[in-house]
Amino acid sequence: MATILEIKHVSKFFGGLAANSDVSFSLEEGMIMGMIGPNGAGKTTLFNCITGYYPPSRGEVIFKAQKISGLEPDRICRLGMVRTWQKVRPLAKLSVIDNVMVGALCRTNSLKTARELAMEQLKVVRMDNKPNFLAGGLPIGEQKKLEVARALATQPQLLLLDEVMGGLNPAESDEIIQLILEIKKGGGITQMVIEHDMKAIMRISDRIVVINSGEKLAEGTPQEIVNNPEVVRAYLGDFHA
Amino acid sequence: MKSTFALIRTTAGTSPVATALGLAVLAGLFLFPSFVQSPYTLHIMILFFLSTIQGEAWNIIGGYTGQYSIGHVAYFGAGAYTTMILMQYKQIPPWYGMLAGIGVALVVSLIIGSICFRLQGPYFVLASIAVAEIMRLSAINLKDITNGAEGILITEIPVFKIGNTVVTDFLSKVPFYYIGLVIALVTILVTWMVQNSKLGYYFQAIREDQDAAHSLGISLPIYKNIALALSAVFTSLSGSFYAVYIGYIDPSTVLNLDISVQIVLVCIIGGIGTIWGPVIGAMVLVPLSEALRSDLIAEMIFKTGLTSEGSAIGTFLKENLAHAHALIYGILVVVVILFMPDGVLGWVKKLTVQKGRG
Repeated sequence: MATILEIKHVSKFFGGLAANSDVSFSLEEGMIMGMIGPNGAGKTTLFNCITGYYPPSRGEVIFKAQKISGLEPDRICRLGMVRTWQKVRPLAKLSVIDNVMVGALCRTNSLKTARELAMEQLKVVRMDNKPNFLAGGLPIGEQKKLEVARALATQPQLLLLDEVMGGLNPAESDEIIQLILEIKKGGGITQMVIEHDMKAIMRISDRIVVINSGEKLAEGTPQEIVNNPEVVRAYLGDFHA
Repeated sequence: MKSTFALIRTTAGTSPVATALGLAVLAGLFLFPSFVQSPYTLHIMILFFLSTIQGEAWNIIGGYTGQYSIGHVAYFGAGAYTTMILMQYKQIPPWYGMLAGIGVALVVSLIIGSICFRLQGPYFVLASIAVAEIMRLSAINLKDITNGAEGILITEIPVFKIGNTVVTDFLSKVPFYYIGLVIALVTILVTWMVQNSKLGYYFQAIREDQDAAHSLGISLPIYKNIALALSAVFTSLSGSFYAVYIGYIDPSTVLNLDISVQIVLVCIIGGIGTIWGPVIGAMVLVPLSEALRSDLIAEMIFKTGLTSEGSAIGTFLKENLAHAHALIYGILVVVVILFMPDGVLGWVKKLTVQKGRG
């Protein structure tokens, strides 16, 4: 399998604080990479470095054999990498379909085509029954799904999901898990998922990378990760190890 | 004309009544000067068109894109000064001067945009005010070009001819009425076209959430600059039109910060980010400011018998009410923001929806 994303020795400093230091790993096409780590470990910072919101202080990010660190987020999106947000960012005063259309317009100039693409994506997340609702008025579970639909509408090859199950009830989480697995089955889209729900991340991930205090602590299959004493120590403290 | 039909049909939904009503209003506006000869009424209508053009233009950058520029007088002044300077010193007729004004406003907007769009939120607002003040001070001090604080007075407007036929000599207010009407219709039409295109979607995405928009492939500097440029073009047109219509400009009339605030008020009061909002805003504000200026309000108070013209309060009102327009505007804005956060248009819509339910 070909490598789609390569993170090479990425560090990000905020003043003297190292939010990420020397993180390296790579993603193969079509896989689901899980990313876990305690709060404040630097997972979202790493996402921001990958998607262009922060330029990495050191190191580089290679996407489809092209160096993308230093590019603006909109360029990176047009190259085929898109993210969702931990704290949802719906375009509140626009309707559901318009939100998704904004994503779809990344690949087309025609509103008609964009509307069709958007409707398809709404079907994927099972929200095609309420295209004309205002995005700002949706419950959190649907806003999260809307984010995924909007991101998918940009027709990415790599989808980065930042805590897409955060704040959802078990039924809603389960729906998102199904959705992530369906996207994988559909083929063509590699995914990287930040998640705190261990059961979920173990179930969906092909590989998992663990971030702690800004550094990569471990990487491996879900099985390897649960049996890794370092990881257990990071999560539960020395006493349990 | 055909596109104007489409405009009305789309914004008013499919209702044939609304379409008919829209066409009737349009026909009424075109026939208006044949029935009403009063120069004062025509003057009010021209001010209404002017205000509509400005409001619609600001709406593109402020209402749709969410970048609250309070320096739009910069483009208004750019249009006014370019047209007047070319007409007065180079004998270039205003219809070409208008185009030159657009060019100047475009250049100014791109310079302002490339600098100020590095800033967000309130910092952008402040920067936009600063730029407008720079323009005003430049106009005062570049005496060789702008005639400084004395301003420019045009003695006569060249006669507009097509071939050898005289179309108009600009001696009455009627030609200005039609020019204002046409520019206003074009501005509304362009706003409608923007709203129903990729641009409109991208502008609104930037307004709603800049970071989310950025992550969806929208280049922020490019689209913000497009919005500002579009807005500057029509604001500049309104400036050229105003200058030629009034026949006199100076820095304190066409580069005054008050104008920027007026432009924003038209949108806020009418309904921000909607096609008809600025039209409604202009309908409210133009008569109001005229009523204040000409002491109509004081007279109305005397007529109701609340107080008499001779009493102490009456004398006070008569002397001061005309100067109190800033105060009354202020109260109006507070009332609108408190009770009609979506402007008059949003408020009316809400009322009709509630009635429909009840």
